Amino acid sequence: MPEQPKRVTLTIDGKAVTVPEGTTVLQACEQAGSPVPFYCYHPGLSIAGNCRICVVELTNSPKLQIACNTQVAEGMAVLTTSDKTLQGRKEVLEFLLINHPLDCPVCDQAGECWLQDYYMEHGLYDPKFNEQKVKKPKAIPVGPTVMLDAERCILCSRCVRFTDEITKTGEFGIFNRGDHSEVGLHPGKTLENNYAGNVVDICPVGALTDRDFRFKCRVWYLASADSVCPGCSRGCNIQIHSNREREWRPHIAKGQRVMRLKPRYNPEVNQWWMCDVGRYGYRFIDEERLERVRFRDNGSSRDAGWDEALAMIAEALTRARAEQRLGRVGAILSSHLTNEDLYAAKRFFGELGVTHVAFQRPKLGESDGFLLQADRSPNARGAQALKIAEGAEPILERAAKGQVDVLFVFTQDLVDLFGPRASEALAKVKLVIFIGTNWNPTAKLAHIALPSAVYAEKDGTFTNLNGRVQRLHAALAPWVDARPEWQILAALASRLALEPPGVDAHTVFAELAAREPAFRDLSYEMLADQGAQLAA
Amino acid sequence: MAARPAASPATGLDSLREPAEALLARYEQKRAAMLPVLRLVQERFGHISAQAEDWVGRLLEVAPSHVHEVVTFYTLYHQRPVGTYHVQVCTNIACALRGGQDQLKAIAGRLGIQPDQTSADGRYTLSTVECLCACEAAPVMQVNDRYVGPVSAEVIDCLVQRPEELPELGLVFRGAPGLVEPVLSKRFRVKDAESIETYVRDDGYQAARKAVTEMSPEAVIGEVTKANLRGLGGAGFPTGKKWGFIPKDSSKPKYLVVNADEGEPGTIKDRYLITKDPHRLLEGMIIAAYATGCRKAYIYIRGEYATPARILEQAVAEATRYGFLGQRIFNTSLALEVVVHRGAGAYICGEESALLESLEGKKGFPRLRPPYPATAGLFACPTVINNVETLACVPTIIQRGGGGFAKLGAGRSGGTRLFSLSGHVRQPGLYEASQGITLRQLLEAAGGVPEGRTLKAVVPGGLSAKILRAEEIDVQMDFDSLLAAGTMAGSAGVIVMDDTACMVEALWYAAKFFAHESCGQCSPCREGTGWVFKIIDRIRQGQGRPEDLENLLAIAGAMEGRTICVFADAAAWPIQSYIGKFRQEFEFHIREKRCDLRSGVRDRAAQARTEAAEAHA
Repeated sequence: MPEQPKRVTLTIDGKAVTVPEGTTVLQACEQAGSPVPFYCYHPGLSIAGNCRICVVELTNSPKLQIACNTQVAEGMAVLTTSDKTLQGRKEVLEFLLINHPLDCPVCDQAGECWLQDYYMEHGLYDPKFNEQKVKKPKAIPVGPTVMLDAERCILCSRCVRFTDEITKTGEFGIFNRGDHSEVGLHPGKTLENNYAGNVVDICPVGALTDRDFRFKCRVWYLASADSVCPGCSRGCNIQIHSNREREWRPHIAKGQRVMRLKPRYNPEVNQWWMCDVGRYGYRFIDEERLERVRFRDNGSSRDAGWDEALAMIAEALTRARAEQRLGRVGAILSSHLTNEDLYAAKRFFGELGVTHVAFQRPKLGESDGFLLQADRSPNARGAQALKIAEGAEPILERAAKGQVDVLFVFTQDLVDLFGPRASEALAKVKLVIFIGTNWNPTAKLAHIALPSAVYAEKDGTFTNLNGRVQRLHAALAPWVDARPEWQILAALASRLALEPPGVDAHTVFAELAAREPAFRDLSYEMLADQGAQLAA
Repeated sequence: MAARPAASPATGLDSLREPAEALLARYEQKRAAMLPVLRLVQERFGHISAQAEDWVGRLLEVAPSHVHEVVTFYTLYHQRPVGTYHVQVCTNIACALRGGQDQLKAIAGRLGIQPDQTSADGRYTLSTVECLCACEAAPVMQVNDRYVGPVSAEVIDCLVQRPEELPELGLVFRGAPGLVEPVLSKRFRVKDAESIETYVRDDGYQAARKAVTEMSPEAVIGEVTKANLRGLGGAGFPTGKKWGFIPKDSSKPKYLVVNADEGEPGTIKDRYLITKDPHRLLEGMIIAAYATGCRKAYIYIRGEYATPARILEQAVAEATRYGFLGQRIFNTSLALEVVVHRGAGAYICGEESALLESLEGKKGFPRLRPPYPATAGLFACPTVINNVETLACVPTIIQRGGGGFAKLGAGRSGGTRLFSLSGHVRQPGLYEASQGITLRQLLEAAGGVPEGRTLKAVVPGGLSAKILRAEEIDVQMDFDSLLAAGTMAGSAGVIVMDDTACMVEALWYAAKFFAHESCGQCSPCREGTGWVFKIIDRIRQGQGRPEDLENLLAIAGAMEGRTICVFADAAAWPIQSYIGKFRQEFEFHIREKRCDLRSGVRDRAAQARTEAAEAHA
């Protein structure tokens, strides 16, 4: 049995709080609902104690103390709102702002800047500073994704500690000293590690901004939805930030919906971080999408509606069922699908009597040894947990031998994965139905291409490589005619007189959890925003 | 295996690999060799290029950004080539009180260059520097490694005509007023005092022998505690207590670190101790190492002290040869290795935790405490850090016993101190006296203020200490008495100002110093010191505003006690005390937009503007 840490009782603003020994005053204040402001403190980094804005009055100490580096003690009395504390905060804020350029109108951080926020919350003083400000470099690209403005920097050293302690790449430093101190990179070096984007997240001010997001959209036009990065099997928790004013401000980023992705804290998965492959891998959401049902026949193609497509597919399947040729039907699912989609597919094909069903992963990438995994799809583990066979090759081999009449291909680009073998095999299938989000060579070979929703348009769950089931929340409505795969399959089920799996992702998951042993006892409610493990 | 630096034949950097690796061998961690390796690079190439930083980074397994941090943090490293003769003129207060600004102008005029410029022929580079800690010879300059002073017309002639012949500053010990037998300075007038032969002849290393062979470590600490020895670097922390904090049982090695980073403006004592009697320091170190269980010691000496460092190196070599250092000292199990480590130009490294950071090859950023050095200091191991003068007292404590030593002092400040007197006194220089001496007695010993002038103010403990008015000098110079008088004993650097000294001017120098030396880590200090300097600079230039004084005091209040180390407090105290005690003078400057001091200067403000423009050029 691990020893229980000793517990310490202190008072914060007169309220008694009991916390484990070793807790800092800053953490205790947060737990007690009396949070103190901070800049340099970051729970994922070492304590620097340099910004000094987290000062609090301790009744047994003549000096204000920084909350981030003071450990709680029995009987300690912390005052987070005393005059002395408030004055100390105000003074620190004024120091931080005297050489700050106050170029908020043209600063991309405006609206999510901790200098602005704290000034409104803790500042509101009459500025005393009336001298020349120190000049420093502005708008310096320090790497492909990050822009530096040294004048806006408050020298909290978060970025330096991040590249020292998390990526261990050591790009950032603080050069010179005194009020000429400035953050930067070694002359001639660039910030090119796969976690560079995180320095923008942790920069509390507008010193480090994202070159991809910069000037695209004011942050107050952003809507946010909690989701999970689909970029690899790690399942980093993210927020999808989209332009919620798109209808009224269609000019923003040429009408694109997703503006950026941000990591979301999950101690079990990604802590506070995400990699740049995931962070900048959002463009497919708004580019090259399958918008409408598309029929292709002998080189000509036409858009169509769902009814026509579903009727046609249902008819083909009904005929196959009647003629007992379901053995000549195949389905290649994808590890990009949610658990709900995979479950709906498993159930649909199973009840129909189609046995050649397998899921396919995309091409392997390289793992970076930290968050990014070689498997660049988010839900292979979910497919495994649902006991779906892995690998498209056996089905493709059957197709190549002319043993497949109807083939469903979900999302994956088989042409890219298997080369001419795939196109040759597909050519021998009478009816290829591609259900996917974006155009790819495989989609173009399909007789019917059905537009499906991307993860950002879906409610649902992914199961990460460690078996953690995590929630996606739809940030966007499905693009044009796109629908989630489970919904497409539900519609088909109805037409084939099969029972659909549910009326929404929530009910699909409830059924999944009831029927699939690996998912037993799970529910959206208990997954909440941090997810939960599959049953062992 | 460490990655070896890539070959870079074009730059010749690889020719430095062997000497660099010899430096690395002196340290427990590669990175700790940062400062000496950079010095090596600079000695070879004259400056440190980005490419060289890269090379050093690979050698020490440190990201080049962190090498660049170090190069840009310390003033002694050059990122661009400097002239054959690098003329570094002190522009701190002690020199300014003795005509430093005029000499700077004269030098600039004769060399035909302004500060931060290099002459067209590449022969001279002129720089202004903060206190060189040779205030007894003010105004001083450093030409390459050599201390030169007082700067006069003849010296400038020599600088222009035969710079290689500039004489190195000599040491003149002024005496020990009121002492029957001086302690720290007793060998300062001995010929060849720095050699081990004379030291041994004068009973040197007998105290160490006695401590190591006849006393237990606890007994040594007991005597030091009884002696009321306090940290003479300036903090005044009881030394015996500090030694007692070092854990006896430690799985990690323990280190003794000597703080020889003398930098407090107005202080010259450690330079004298090291130059005149280095073995006394080494003997004190042996005793301290024995008492605390350290087997390795580092002496961190300020980078500008080239000659003292050389003398120390030699003393270490001699003592090792004589068997006082190394293995089996006095035929006991005691072993002690001593490494002399030179700083690179940063006042903050005199702060003990900044010193440790610097010694580990980083910028001199003071550390958050806890942990304290006694538990996690150098290389995260238990470390005892003492000032040179503190350790130099230790042999005497062992010889005479703690009680006898305590009696030499006053109250809870045992022993004597070396007082550095500078500014407006007739005989500036180093004096040894009991800590019970009064400031008045000390000033009298130095001959008082020059003929025809009257005393105006005294800073009793280095530039950081709060200023005393002329009528406040009947105070004893021990730690507690000065604290009670609202100031501090500090480093015992006594800066004297007579009635020609302008307090706005004096505060300008203090503010300039602290703005220049703030490490930049904590926001109140980084921003506050710069802000304060800008305001005072404006007042000095005759552009003061009515709200300035209140703002200065508010800023000082917001800096004091709000940072990781006490530098910000030290920067705040002069503001508070100069304005507090000489407010009318500041108000006059602001109201009249001129200075009424300094004979013959009618429009002081106009002159100040010109000077400021030149200084900032």
